[in-house]
Amino acid sequence: MATPPDPDAAREAIEYCYEHGWTDGLPVIPASEALLEQFLAATPRDPDEVLWRMDHLDRECTVRTAAINAAMAGCLPEYFPVVLAAWDAVMRDRAAKGGGWQSTSGPAPLIVINGPIRSELGINSSGGIFAAGFRPNATIPRTLGLMLRNAFGVVPHVFDQTTQGIPGRFSICFGENEEESPWEPLATETGLEPGTSAVSCTLTRTYEFVDNRHTQDPEQLLNDFADTLSRTGSLIFRGQSAGVVLCPEHAQMLADAGYSKADVKDWFIEHVGRTEADLRRAGKDGVSASGPGARSASAEERAPADSFTPYFGARKDIPIIVAGARNAAISMVFRVFGEWSNTSVPIESMAAPVAAAKGG
Amino acid sequence: MICSDAFIATADAMAGVQGAPGYHYLTTPHPVAGLTPEQVRERAEAVADQVAKMLAGERA
Repeated sequence: MATPPDPDAAREAIEYCYEHGWTDGLPVIPASEALLEQFLAATPRDPDEVLWRMDHLDRECTVRTAAINAAMAGCLPEYFPVVLAAWDAVMRDRAAKGGGWQSTSGPAPLIVINGPIRSELGINSSGGIFAAGFRPNATIPRTLGLMLRNAFGVVPHVFDQTTQGIPGRFSICFGENEEESPWEPLATETGLEPGTSAVSCTLTRTYEFVDNRHTQDPEQLLNDFADTLSRTGSLIFRGQSAGVVLCPEHAQMLADAGYSKADVKDWFIEHVGRTEADLRRAGKDGVSASGPGARSASAEERAPADSFTPYFGARKDIPIIVAGARNAAISMVFRVFGEWSNTSVPIESMAAPVAAAKGG
Repeated sequence: MICSDAFIATADAMAGVQGAPGYHYLTTPHPVAGLTPEQVRERAEAVADQVAKMLAGERA
């Protein structure tokens, strides 16, 4: 029987990382050169490739630095291509490129994984997708948070200006439940070949459940979603983006009633929004009356009290994902922080080069 | 440069990474986002003298 590792030596190394400010508050795995080499061997990408540069902070992150942080976050080396795809995917988000990581909103990356990589790595896509208990689901998003801290220097109270933030900010990552979804996978919807292992990612804010085990009428169910999607609290500017992570039961109910994903989005475009009177009551009627950038309350009556302001402009503003267990009719509404790229990034692992994929 | 006083720590840190540690800027009380145009005018009037001194090279 092998000698167990020395827990005191492990703790000493972990404390060393704390002392250097390299952690997000939880212990990190001390990364050795040998471990780093395993991570770099998992990707065809050059270790010196710059993944992203934040000019205003004069900081950048290379593939090597990302690998160090993935190791520290607790990833296995084979997760590393998913980390790189997740980073590339989130940086296609306009808000992430525009300083969103430092926003007072403290937005959370939502990482959705499609394709066979889910079963290869044991990525959870069914029960407990927003909960804990699965190593890749927990460590891949944590890596993004550590990259921000350790590579870019975006730390709380200084360059990270988060007012309150989102619970579980760097822990939201799951596979789409393709096996129990009645519709095409998200990555296929965005243009990749079916069966491609890929990551879709955007910055998000609110997460709020819709528990509806009460009706078999699809329109009543959609109305229940619309009520949550139409909150005034999350309304900042005109032109909103919000999505739904549908549980398989809700998705199947809608599909059985003849709704495609596009039909559901079109229904939300038509029905999600508030009346002028509702917006005025919350001090937000300026949003309905002004241009897309407005954040002002209105100064005078600008529209009839019963006029309706729709929140969504196009299908691309309403990402729909199917995930979770088929054991109760509980889904999740989420609010997109800025603007999802509406694309997915193929995962480039050493075993499966990305040549077969199209678009992106 | 005028900054609302909730962002002083970030502004000082930004000055540091931009190679200008200790860069002098003016502040106005936080918050600003919900002010009416008239309240913004009052804020501008309150800081105008300091802006003039700063432009003239004096320490406001």
